[in-house]
Amino acid sequence: MKKLKKTLIYLFLSIATIISIYPFFWMIVSMTNKSVDVTQGRQLPGTYLFENLRKLFDQVDMVTALTNSAIIAILSTVFTLFIASLAGYGFQMYRSKGKDIVFNILLLSMMIPFASIMIPLYRLFGRISQTAPIIGIDTLAAAFLPTITTAFFIFFFRQNTKMFPKDLIEAGRIDGLSEIGIFFRIFVPTMKTTYAAAAIIAFMNSWNNFLWPLVVLQSPSKQTIPLLISNLGSSYSPDYGMIMSAITIATLPTALVFFFMQKHFVAGMMGSVKG
Amino acid sequence: MKKIFTLLLILMLGVLAACGGDDTSNDDTGGSDSDNGTDSGETSDGVQSVTAWAWDPNFNIRALELANQAYDGDSEMYVEIIENAQDDIIQRLNAGLSSGTTQGMPNIVLIEDYRAQSFLQSYPDAFYPLTDYINPDDFAQYKVEATSFDGDIYGLPFDTGVSGLYVRTDYLEEAGYTVEDLSDITWKEYIEIGKEVKAATGKDMITLDPNDFGMVRMMLQSAGEWYFEEDGNTPALADNPALEEIFVLYKEMMDADIVKLNSDWSQFVSAFNSGDVATVPTGNWITPSVKAEASQSGNWAVLPLPRLEVDGAVNTSNLGGSSWYVLNQDGKELAAEFLANTFGSNEQFYTDLVTEIGALGTYIPGTQGEAFEQEDPFFGGQAIIQDFATWSEQIPPVNYGMHTYAVDDILKVEMQNYLNGADVGDVLDNAQSQAETQLR
Repeated sequence: MKKLKKTLIYLFLSIATIISIYPFFWMIVSMTNKSVDVTQGRQLPGTYLFENLRKLFDQVDMVTALTNSAIIAILSTVFTLFIASLAGYGFQMYRSKGKDIVFNILLLSMMIPFASIMIPLYRLFGRISQTAPIIGIDTLAAAFLPTITTAFFIFFFRQNTKMFPKDLIEAGRIDGLSEIGIFFRIFVPTMKTTYAAAAIIAFMNSWNNFLWPLVVLQSPSKQTIPLLISNLGSSYSPDYGMIMSAITIATLPTALVFFFMQKHFVAGMMGSVKG
Repeated sequence: MKKIFTLLLILMLGVLAACGGDDTSNDDTGGSDSDNGTDSGETSDGVQSVTAWAWDPNFNIRALELANQAYDGDSEMYVEIIENAQDDIIQRLNAGLSSGTTQGMPNIVLIEDYRAQSFLQSYPDAFYPLTDYINPDDFAQYKVEATSFDGDIYGLPFDTGVSGLYVRTDYLEEAGYTVEDLSDITWKEYIEIGKEVKAATGKDMITLDPNDFGMVRMMLQSAGEWYFEEDGNTPALADNPALEEIFVLYKEMMDADIVKLNSDWSQFVSAFNSGDVATVPTGNWITPSVKAEASQSGNWAVLPLPRLEVDGAVNTSNLGGSSWYVLNQDGKELAAEFLANTFGSNEQFYTDLVTEIGALGTYIPGTQGEAFEQEDPFFGGQAIIQDFATWSEQIPPVNYGMHTYAVDDILKVEMQNYLNGADVGDVLDNAQSQAETQLR
């Protein structure tokens, strides 16, 4: 009976795994086939891998796009973690009169879809361009500045800060640490898990971000990976083998970040237990 | 600790500035960072440049490259070509134009004809009229209609979306038909033949995407009708005999079980690449996709589109196609002059377009010559470009109006209601009232 139950569970899990992995399998297989085979749904590995990659690197500037995406994603993640964790920490740890009202207003801003603030934002950057072109339209800075902190991340850090023992802060104060010292020396090392989780989310958001970079980055030298892939599909007879190669390459960094962070995730957990 | 904090802040600002600064220094339009913020520039050796946005590297982008080579006007200039997906261009243009910022906008932009009026009417001063640069009589009439607004022509008509019926001659033969049997027929006859073909070969006659109304638009224009009255604004969906006939035909095709459904572009292409359908009625731009399956060489032919049975319906129509527009900002004269010199007057250039990339323009003086008579072995030696060129001159002009795609969305839903058994008059009445409320 127990065995049967276990078999059923494994059967269910296996089916779920196959369903969720299948698109990735198809993507990787399609990378090795030529376009006509992809449209006809060929599911077997082909011999066109190098042909597809060669065409991809010949036709479009993958390296520039990858570099741009990496710069934007890394900077945006660093800024997000820094600002959002400071804000979340502040909201949770310090007492102030209007704190909850401010926080609620912040949360409300989560309800506004990005599309509705896009035009005003574009106008804003248009204005900035005239006085400070280095962060104006068509610069990488403009692509990540509006996303460096969102209400979501502040909320995320505030919720997680609730688990942080206040005693530690008091101990720090008694030992003579400044408030900023407490944050960097005690809070940050203890909250590694939270930082790792937030980093994964922030990196993926930024890496996959499409709409804002699309409107604000115009020249090809500023193109990010999602924009490049969107361009590849623009032709009347798209080359699906090549597109799949580009998508596979674009997926790798997020996967890597996840696996890399996962290790820290575990380390952070152990750290907090010890602390 | 406070010092570290300050240091971190400074570092971040530094990174930010470096990141931005780096970008302007390798800006390749040279002197483009002028105060009025446009994209036309002059490089150090005195050669001027304008930027252009277009999609499809094998078609529009190649056409621009050829135009760069063909330009022989007075100015020392070239066009910097930026490739964008069509949807991305729309998104960017909308963001830029509605925020009133010309920063980062191109000088020349390619816009699909169905969408042209909505841009021209929503942003009346954003585009530069080309009336002084080109002669509208030189171009196919239906393109002029699509690119004009308020008495001025704003777009330089480019490629034709002239449609044809791509047929598999081997399947037809198997069912006992010749190519002549399908030339110059009505859609009713087309469906009857489709049933025979299905019975004989087991292949569907046509592939349709219920979520893409290109087919309906194509049939509608062949009758000289559109979703709107001639003003381009008043919906004309109810009491539109052509549209009603199209709905009835669409259902007949479905009921006759001669339709292979597809749900996106790749499935559409796959349907004929894998030999699952006997005919493909669509725009001439599909030719490269048809020819991608080299093993079917010799088994295809292109025939005139079947026609509707309403008054004024002809055996030719249009699907898609786009035109070049000049934005009303610094560099507009240069951009307009460039277009007029190449796409607007150069006959040899149009011959090159045909021979090099198979692009068929709508510049009438440029649609003759040996290049057009070339026989294509893939299509059994048929001179398809010549045929398309002939048909494109007979496409009925219609006013696409501002809301073609919005009405598309309404009709897609109503079509499903009709297919599920509702009365055709009722669904079109419904569509009419929805369109009237939505588009007011």
